[in-house]
Amino acid sequence: MLINKLSLSSRLLIAVSIVLTAFLGLSAFSLNNAYQASTDSAQQKRLKNYVYTLLASADFGSHGLEKMPEDLSEPNFSIPNSGLYAQITTGDEIVWQSKSSLGLFIALPDHPGASKEYLSTIMLNNKVKLLNLAYGIVWENEQGKNFEYTINVSEDLNVTNQQKAGFHRTLWYWLGGTGLILLIAQALILRWSLRPLHDVASDLHAIESGDRTRLLKNYPTELSQLTQNINTLLDHEESRRKRYKNSLADLAHSLKTPLAVFRGELENSSNITDIKQTGHEQLDRISALVDYQLQRAATEGHSSLQAPVSLGDIITKILLSLDKVYQSKNIRRQCEIQRDAFIHADVGDMYELIGNLLENAYKYGDKRVNVLVVTRLDSIDIHIEDDGNGIPKYARDDIIKRGKRMDTQVEGQGLGLAIASDIVAAYQGEIKLEQSHLGGARFIVSLPRQ
Amino acid sequence: MRILVIEDETHLREQITQQLQKQNLTVDAAKDGEEGLYFGSEYAYDVAIIDLGLPKLSGIQVIQELRLTGKEFPILILTARGRWQDKVEGLEAGADDYLVKPFHFEELLARINALARRASGWANSTMRCGPITLNPSSQEVTLNESAIELTAYEYRLLHYMMLHAGEVISKTELTDHLYEQDHDRDSNVIEVFIKRLRTKLDPDKTLNAIETLRGRGYRLTLERVN
Repeated sequence: MLINKLSLSSRLLIAVSIVLTAFLGLSAFSLNNAYQASTDSAQQKRLKNYVYTLLASADFGSHGLEKMPEDLSEPNFSIPNSGLYAQITTGDEIVWQSKSSLGLFIALPDHPGASKEYLSTIMLNNKVKLLNLAYGIVWENEQGKNFEYTINVSEDLNVTNQQKAGFHRTLWYWLGGTGLILLIAQALILRWSLRPLHDVASDLHAIESGDRTRLLKNYPTELSQLTQNINTLLDHEESRRKRYKNSLADLAHSLKTPLAVFRGELENSSNITDIKQTGHEQLDRISALVDYQLQRAATEGHSSLQAPVSLGDIITKILLSLDKVYQSKNIRRQCEIQRDAFIHADVGDMYELIGNLLENAYKYGDKRVNVLVVTRLDSIDIHIEDDGNGIPKYARDDIIKRGKRMDTQVEGQGLGLAIASDIVAAYQGEIKLEQSHLGGARFIVSLPRQ
Repeated sequence: MRILVIEDETHLREQITQQLQKQNLTVDAAKDGEEGLYFGSEYAYDVAIIDLGLPKLSGIQVIQELRLTGKEFPILILTARGRWQDKVEGLEAGADDYLVKPFHFEELLARINALARRASGWANSTMRCGPITLNPSSQEVTLNESAIELTAYEYRLLHYMMLHAGEVISKTELTDHLYEQDHDRDSNVIEVFIKRLRTKLDPDKTLNAIETLRGRGYRLTLERVN
């Protein structure tokens, strides 16, 4: 889907823009509404005040309304077309009107009732819209006669409408401006925050094109775990590549000796039995070399990215397999594995290491094989011992010497032990060879847990 | 003794077959997992040799399927990748032993003989019943410590009867284990072989080595010396 292909910054920008627009739009809407409501109520209050002012300045006598002052406190009442108008009516008859309202008729046909008010908008002939407040009063004279009057005060709506429009405009300018500034700020912040990601990408590109070997910059905490892991992976790959290269070179080199021996035999000997014999020997040697180098190249080696594997599971499976294969030997085995014997390592490597050592014990042991796995704070120790003839002291060091190539190893020693000590070396562990109290050999492998 | 070989590599399959036949063993060879499984389920074998990397059906699957259908003959796995994980997987699936390629034929033969002996309860590499001994590796048969000459089929017959010394073996079982699957079988031939074997093993007719149980088959009566 297209949306899955959007870049992180586009996603953020789109999301933030939508949220910002909605937020600013809603605030504009509610601010505008609040302003409108407050101007409306202020206008009504003003009209009411005018009504009370008129009421207060009117003189009522026995004939009802008798006199209104010439000048009212609000000068707009006296200026024609000022936008503020007042008329006092009884029935259809205007009893008084402000100077401003001369020539207008703004009174209502009906009396709203005593002390009642009625708000309405009036459209005048010249399209002027007025807000009119009609206030009903009833004056009772000494004879008990009632006079009904309506006080009408009107104000031109255009004035307030213009005010409202002005506010509306200003509001939109401000909010729009703020929104724009926020969006720009957001874009800049995004650029700045996502810069490390771009850096990682371009660094990776540099690694890809061979300009660099690792991610070197200081990255923010959120990314450092990732970049560290990438670096670990790169290192791991690098060391694996080296190992492949070395294995290949070693293989090619070590194959030359048996090939030379065989060629020499072919050229110098005319005895077919001798040639056959040498051929067999050298083929065996070549086959062993291939096995060994293949195994060396396949060794994963230590990497912190590996999931923990259970040594107990692996050992149990191998022991069951060996019990089957060496059934006729009736080996009595003792196995003691601590429950938390987990190690961050490649499963295949662990199978190879333990498989080779255990097979060695089953092969050379007489009746007994003991396995002990002890977990320490930062290492795991694997003890494997048998009751065979053991390995003579002088040969021990050679067998477990680190990185010692098989083709330079003591004659007669199996491929398995060479592979095992190679794997231990690849995990920066240690392998020791001792005399077991059972009489045979005791291998102690110590592997770092992390 | 009848052997099933499942190996997809033609050269190796033919080599193994020929070498085993030279050792007087009855051999059926299958070129892929499906054919191998068919043979394994249809015929009676004493040992099966199964390569792990097979087309159509992997070696592991063949082994699992055979074990699932109750076939109990010993299985030796061949693997080119000597990884322990593969070996353990094969043995867990039901194989009994493994051999990593390339191997010496002697090694293969020794493993096959050991598996067959183990399956029929023999401990030593040379089987001895009363005065008779049979060494499967050298194919030597002795009577009272002196070697006797047997033809190929006589040897096959004696080998199978010694593996199952003390058990009653029907004629069908004997034909099943002595002949390849496409061989023309005639159970009367078995009677002839038995007769000849009796004369060779018991020239003075004092031993009564092979007893006939009418309608049931034959039994090697001599006691196993383990």
